[in-house]
Amino acid sequence: METKTVGVIGAGTMGAGIALVCGRKGHHVKLLDANQAVLDKAQSYLQSILSKDVEKGKINEQQKTDTLERMKLVSDMEQLADCDIVIEAVPERLDLKKTIFGELSRICKSDALLLTNTSSISITEIAGGLPHPERILGFHFFNPAPVMPLVEVIRGKKSSEDNVEQAYRFAEQLGKVPVLVTDTPGFIVNRIARPYYNEALRILGDNVAKVEQIDRIMKQAGGFKMGPFELQDMIGIDINFATTQSVYSDFFHEGRFKPSRIQQRMVQAGSLGRKTGEGFYDYSK
Amino acid sequence: MTTANKAVLLTGDSPLYAELHHLLIDRGYTVLSFEDATSAPQTVSLAVEVNSLNLEAKKQQLCDLDQLLAADVPIITTSLAITATEAASWTEHPERVCGFGTLVPLAERELIEIAPALQTEEPAIAAAVSLFRSLDKETEIVVDEVGLVFPRILSLIINEAAFALMEKAATPQDIDTAMKKGTNYPYGPLEWADRIGLDEIYAISRGLQRDFAEERYRTAPLLRKLVLAKRVGVRSGQGFYHYGSKEECEK
Repeated sequence: METKTVGVIGAGTMGAGIALVCGRKGHHVKLLDANQAVLDKAQSYLQSILSKDVEKGKINEQQKTDTLERMKLVSDMEQLADCDIVIEAVPERLDLKKTIFGELSRICKSDALLLTNTSSISITEIAGGLPHPERILGFHFFNPAPVMPLVEVIRGKKSSEDNVEQAYRFAEQLGKVPVLVTDTPGFIVNRIARPYYNEALRILGDNVAKVEQIDRIMKQAGGFKMGPFELQDMIGIDINFATTQSVYSDFFHEGRFKPSRIQQRMVQAGSLGRKTGEGFYDYSK
Repeated sequence: MTTANKAVLLTGDSPLYAELHHLLIDRGYTVLSFEDATSAPQTVSLAVEVNSLNLEAKKQQLCDLDQLLAADVPIITTSLAITATEAASWTEHPERVCGFGTLVPLAERELIEIAPALQTEEPAIAAAVSLFRSLDKETEIVVDEVGLVFPRILSLIINEAAFALMEKAATPQDIDTAMKKGTNYPYGPLEWADRIGLDEIYAISRGLQRDFAEERYRTAPLLRKLVLAKRVGVRSGQGFYHYGSKEECEK
């Protein structure tokens, strides 16, 4: 496997996780964030995970040192000029992403692959109006990136076949399972999983069954690992609601994706799930 | 509960029929067809009716059961494509009609949902609970709406996957892989539908659309067409995938 220089933009949970995935496979990684505190946190995250890899006997001390050596933390976008591949993983704001891809288009080699880890913004919209839109693609990891095997490779309207193929092979080289998807709202997973949450909320709202009953039924009758309400509490009810709203809006308010008022009230009340100690279940005890 | 001398009258053409038949015999029940029972209806302790797609047949068979069996014999009916309340409304003794719903394969179902109709009285609910307990299934009693909880949610997931496939957003294999590897589903929605039977999934989707009359429950045209073409999945050799050859059936 050829070693590449991979830039990762955004050193939050997703970005640091993606950087780790690339670093473990022998690539040179430049993890970029404008915020030094975020970079420091990412650095200690990488060190602690790789130290655990050593403890578990997955790698030796030298390999850990080498991996960390290959992973640079940078704060200036110009330092990504020699990257073969850049993966953007900043918060889901179109203006932010457009600015970043505009800069990358100027800085990077014209054949560098520019990938976005967006879960909800159209690739075509991010690439629109930029030079070389054929090398801009979606490359969507699932949280936590080092654990979840899937990567959605998303083909924008102007993405070239050649680059789609390159991105697909890169995902395989990272040990991930890639799937190809066209630039449609929610791509595959966030679209097809909507009814799991949304219909459970509707069933709750119509008083067909209670929260605990629905979770129990989906696990014991359906064989799902977690019930829809436990899962919302884990993901964050605000995050789940935002995803539904985004898919609903991008489908021009198609009725199949209509968000739930129950969920909206939970968000308004600040009952967001485990992270606030209370969601559909109480975690304060 | 003693089951050895209890006769269950089983009728209907849902994919549940064959599996329930097998499971009932395995647990010591005598299983009778409607024809078997006509000569000795007094031996029937309970009737189970499992039509989903063909609602005319469902109505006819429920009315026949209602006529044949003494008024205190419970009739357990699938409430996948219509509510138990509507099914009960067709009979002269609606208080003995109780809904239930699940999907094949039954070996994977630890729990079965029971939905009493508005008209159902306690003995019929108790009969449904004890029937499924005797088959080693747990039960959960929910309020009567089309498709209950698990079949309703799964049919909507499959319907959305059918929309995505129809739009060629991704291949069937990639859709299934994505849901298993990206969000830990036990099966991909399309392969799952092929195992359950697309006719059963379509019956639920059509029932939700009919009862709620909302765009939310619009059936994917591809799902309906596959059922009309009798490509109902593994059972018919073709559904979202083609069985026999490895190529997918992508229309």
